Amino acid sequence: MSQPTTLQPAAASATLDAPRTGNWDGGNEPFKASYGKLMMWFFLLSDAFTFAAFLTTYGMIRHKHEVFTGEAKDFVFNTRWWPIPDHVFNAFPGMGEANVPLGFVALMTMILILSSVTMVLAVEAGQRMDKADVQKWLLWTILFGTTFLASQAWEWTHFINGHAEPTIMADGTKFFGANLHMNQYGPVLFADLFFFITGFHGTHVFSGVCLLVWCFIATTNGTFEKRGHYEMIEKIGLYWHFVDLVWVFVFTFFYLV
Amino acid sequence: MASHATTEHLAPGEIAKPNTGWIWRVFFILVGITAVEFVFVFLMHPSTLRNSIFIGLTILKAFFIVAEFMHLKHETKGLIWTILVPVTLLIWLLVALITEGSFMGEVLQNMFK
Repeated sequence: MSQPTTLQPAAASATLDAPRTGNWDGGNEPFKASYGKLMMWFFLLSDAFTFAAFLTTYGMIRHKHEVFTGEAKDFVFNTRWWPIPDHVFNAFPGMGEANVPLGFVALMTMILILSSVTMVLAVEAGQRMDKADVQKWLLWTILFGTTFLASQAWEWTHFINGHAEPTIMADGTKFFGANLHMNQYGPVLFADLFFFITGFHGTHVFSGVCLLVWCFIATTNGTFEKRGHYEMIEKIGLYWHFVDLVWVFVFTFFYLV
Repeated sequence: MASHATTEHLAPGEIAKPNTGWIWRVFFILVGITAVEFVFVFLMHPSTLRNSIFIGLTILKAFFIVAEFMHLKHETKGLIWTILVPVTLLIWLLVALITEGSFMGEVLQNMFK
């Protein structure tokens, strides 16, 4: 800017002796957070609304269906009742048809929490300008992120192919697994919501892994070191923790309740 | 913004010591809460009380992730409220639609009796 063009009282001199620092003179950060970080927060807020809409839809549709009231061991998959989660998600890779209720999803939850921890460690290393540590923790986060995605791929495959015990349809045919039109576990919408909600979350994890890989390359090239700060890691970190946060809710509403 | 690392009193080129105790503390809290959730899944019959326990523990976990890992607790008050106030709308959405779902279920199940 060559000339200050704001209105000044007549008494004030035409040139400024000192920079003006009032509330409305610009250059203020009332939230003490950079533009990029604020916008990441607002994006995450809007994303929280999207996920909340999904989970609320799940809650509403679930309450629309009958609840199985008998003993858990007598439960059989039926379109009348909403399925009991630990009967649906009870398989573990490499263990065949062994009954491990919620075992695999517990492992997936642990992996995602660990990835969140390594992400904070990367952010912490960035604040100390420790390039080697940032690289190390980013690599761990990428590893846990891709492991989670692979686990989810396995979980989906098992869900789609179905359990050894099929559902007997009204006309006597057997039906295994699930698609968008029918599933062996119960009401049609159960599988639809599973695909949409965990799929939407998985897509978020995938974009997160892509961003982390990009961050790792930029760190290795010294981009952030030249810039003088590792704020980009903090912003991607916010996104990554949000994805973990969403999983905490998906886990509760899909697998526990 | 508030930072956990201290970068003052450092010679040029020197890197500060990592300060990671708080990170692992939060990690063990999160793992502990998840373990408690699993205890309740297997030792308690499904009921409204059990669901309330799950939702309570989930919100507790969410608090630790948002406050510590996402650092919101250490931001300015204005930023904290900017994020939290819109989120309260979601609680209303959840309560309203679950009530609606129960009502629809009631109607559908009893209509033809």
